[in-house]
Amino acid sequence: MASVPHEVAIPRTYGVSARTQRTFLRIATGVILLVLWEVLVRWLAPPFVARPVTVARALPHVLANHLPPGTPTFWGAAEATVVASAEGLAIGIVGGVLVGLTMGRLRTADRLLRFYISTFFAMPIIALVPVMTLWFGYSSTVRLYIVALGAFLPICLNVYDGTRSLPASFVEVAQSYRARWWNVWFGIALPASLPYLLAGFKLAVGRVLVGAVVAEYIVNLKGLGSYIVFDSRTFHQPEMMVAVLFLALLGVSVNAAADLATRRFLPWYRRSE
Amino acid sequence: MSTNGAAGRIQIDGVAKQFGDLRVFQDIDLAIGEREIVSIVGPSGCGKTTLLRCIDGLVQPSEGEIRIDGAKVTEPPRGVAVVFQHFGLFPWKTVYENVAYGLRLAGAPKDQIAESVARHIELVGLKGFDKAYPYQLSGGMQQRTGLARALATDPHVLLMDEPFASIDAQTREILQFELLRIWESRPMSMVFVTHSIEEAVLMGDRVVVLRGRPSSIHEVIETGLPRPRTRDVLSSPRFNEVREQVWSLLMHEAEQAERELQEVR
Ligand SMILES: Nc1ncnc2c1ncn2[C@@H]1O[C@H](COP(=O)(O)OP(=O)(O)OP(=O)(O)O)[C@@H](O)[C@H]1O
Ligand SMILES: [Mg+2]
Repeated sequence: MASVPHEVAIPRTYGVSARTQRTFLRIATGVILLVLWEVLVRWLAPPFVARPVTVARALPHVLANHLPPGTPTFWGAAEATVVASAEGLAIGIVGGVLVGLTMGRLRTADRLLRFYISTFFAMPIIALVPVMTLWFGYSSTVRLYIVALGAFLPICLNVYDGTRSLPASFVEVAQSYRARWWNVWFGIALPASLPYLLAGFKLAVGRVLVGAVVAEYIVNLKGLGSYIVFDSRTFHQPEMMVAVLFLALLGVSVNAAADLATRRFLPWYRRSE
Repeated sequence: MSTNGAAGRIQIDGVAKQFGDLRVFQDIDLAIGEREIVSIVGPSGCGKTTLLRCIDGLVQPSEGEIRIDGAKVTEPPRGVAVVFQHFGLFPWKTVYENVAYGLRLAGAPKDQIAESVARHIELVGLKGFDKAYPYQLSGGMQQRTGLARALATDPHVLLMDEPFASIDAQTREILQFELLRIWESRPMSMVFVTHSIEEAVLMGDRVVVLRGRPSSIHEVIETGLPRPRTRDVLSSPRFNEVREQVWSLLMHEAEQAERELQEVR
């Protein structure tokens, strides 16, 4: 076997820790992107187009809810979106775990349901929003169905995968200690599937936020979706951009919290073999 | 064939097991006493694990029946515990929670669980490792946990399926003598399945040799070795004699299998 040259085998860190270097590079990219945005918009776009400096200037009065009368307030909109998303996630987790476990453990349930659940998962469910307004009216019920479904589908399929990959030996051990079916489902299959559940949860967060915002656009419900539409149409682009950044931050931090929870509460994950 | 005079705690009568077209074993008759260790040896795939599963009621025999304390086994009975070759620890549970598993399922009171788990963790030499997860333990320590989990339910029948097969030789020897020491302090019926002839002879009062296809009991050998068993046993003439006897029985089988393979070719 040819030996690898020393200089290639060891990445150069110039005396700085690899972690610091990574953070530095990440920030550098961000700064370059912001500067590009600022310069290009100043140079090429009309003055009402948002750029970093105007967004930063808009930030204090948006966050303080100091807006012209008749415009939706940022925090009111954010609360509506966050609450609806949390409700959808809660329903999706409970339903997804129950149905996922059932499909994973009962072959009949698998055959009856999985094809349809996979199909729904593969299709963009927000395509259903217009027709749902006919069924449920222009109400927050539509958003609730969309976010609940958005959370349910990935969580259900992930819990299903987790339950299917449950080693038969775990079940045998449980049965030898006289476990009943519910002990196997909730005491063995569910905890063994927690890593899958978390992966499903992270997918769900993205789908829920998209679903909530799009439902709010279309149905015109109080929330960040309608806030964004209103501010865009009334030439409040910097104010609108605050909401977009808030949504990005929300998605990123919920996922980071999920990772943190994995490390904190599932220390065994990825280390058992 | 030797007969077992003692009232059998485990009574196996005319048991056979078939999976579809595959007849794994047949005509198994065996009685195991209340304070007896019976070793089972036989070639790979002869159905040792399946027989243990039948005794624990995890699968039903195709023919015949198995009784424990007179009651026909149809599901895992109370008072019977299994130690698995693959340890069977739950990776998301700590040592403490793994050991407590059987007691929790049995609905034991909290203080009893705490007392019994602590006592058994100490018994198997894992004191201080209560909060460790299986991935933090060596194979030997994992099987100590598996043993503690089984013993914590206070079984009167212990079924061991090659418990030390995936553990390094040195640790394996330590565990064998620790198991013997524990058994001396609380004798029970034990069925000990193993691939190791030495281990079978060292542990057992009798060694059951399974052979043939479908397999059946070919020979039951009384080891006649004194208890408590210490390391001295390993160098005794009787130990060597029994070991050679079992070895020749199994070699015959291996050679025959080899010949059959030649014929197929
Ligand atoms: N649930 C099952 N369904 C079908 N066949 C099975 C089942 N369980 C075991 N067998 C078959 O029965 C035979 C005996 O298996 P078993 O695991 O009991 O053998 P073993 O003596 O324990 O082997 P080893 O020494 O390798 O552990 C094997 O051929 C196996 O493939
Ligand atoms: Mg086996």
